[in-house]
Amino acid sequence: MRWLAAELLAFCRWCNGSFFGHGIRDSVWLFPFVEIFHLLALGLLGGTVVILNLSLLGFRFRGEPVAAVARDVRPWMIGSIVVMLVSGFLLFSTEAVKMYGSPAFQLKMLFLLLAILFTFTVHRKVTMLEEGHIAPLWRKLAAVVCIALWAAVALGGRAIGYVNSSGAS
Amino acid sequence: MSLLAWLHDTAFSEMMRDSTWAEPIVETIHVLTLTVFLGFVLLLDLRLLDLAMPRRRISVLFEQLNPGLFGGFAVMVVTGVLLFSADPIAFYSTLFFKLKMIMLLLAGLNVLVFNFTLGRRLADWDLDPRTPWGAKAAGIVSLVLWVGIVAAGRGIAYALPPP
Repeated sequence: MRWLAAELLAFCRWCNGSFFGHGIRDSVWLFPFVEIFHLLALGLLGGTVVILNLSLLGFRFRGEPVAAVARDVRPWMIGSIVVMLVSGFLLFSTEAVKMYGSPAFQLKMLFLLLAILFTFTVHRKVTMLEEGHIAPLWRKLAAVVCIALWAAVALGGRAIGYVNSSGAS
Repeated sequence: MSLLAWLHDTAFSEMMRDSTWAEPIVETIHVLTLTVFLGFVLLLDLRLLDLAMPRRRISVLFEQLNPGLFGGFAVMVVTGVLLFSADPIAFYSTLFFKLKMIMLLLAGLNVLVFNFTLGRRLADWDLDPRTPWGAKAAGIVSLVLWVGIVAAGRGIAYALPPP
């Protein structure tokens, strides 16, 4: 594990010194500009996650197959995750070494990994299965876990701003 | 301005300013509610443009998403007013705040115009393979305004003097 930590720290140092890390840090308007994309994608990702899971819970789009709702929202869900990852990486690169030592950031990354893994394995499978193939309890549990994991990612993101209270939060 | 000064001097405004937790909690709720409010708005706009969920009927989408949309909007307004009340004079003095309010009004106007025109005759075009140009225009206007509103909101945070 020690070599991994060393590699990660080296990577963070490289990010800090990279042209984008430098460029965004030194610019007055680039950081907020990237943040706007991060927030817009947050809205879209959250919207698709909420719609899909409300459908899985049976609160919305009742009588319609969950698999159809999943197919409808999936491209927008994946697209917004990509925008969030790219914009998030750019924001991270401006103070990567500081983030390396931030407990809020570490927790956020842990939950992000879990959220992505869960959403595209177990959750995907559950949404694509036809009703009756799986007990309603498991469907509801998958929905709750999915929402909780993504909410944890979002809360971790908020915490980063407050734990390192430099500039606008 | 005297109204802003009055609000600034209320005990409530003072509490929002001085409390360690009030502002972060309210701001977190404001940002997280973006997921049900902004997310639903963007998806509906993209639907009006035939980009998102093209096979789904718009009337059904409105019916399914409206409770979340209105509930989310209410939370956004309440938390937004709370954040504003922490320092109304400073908020009002920024250009971004004024821009955000103007764009919010325009977005509301856009919804009203749509509801009184094409929205009234939803059943007429709901099953068409393509949405009418008016619906696309409403979707584009809404998308542009909401991107602007998010940008202006971020702008306020940078324009305000740090607490």
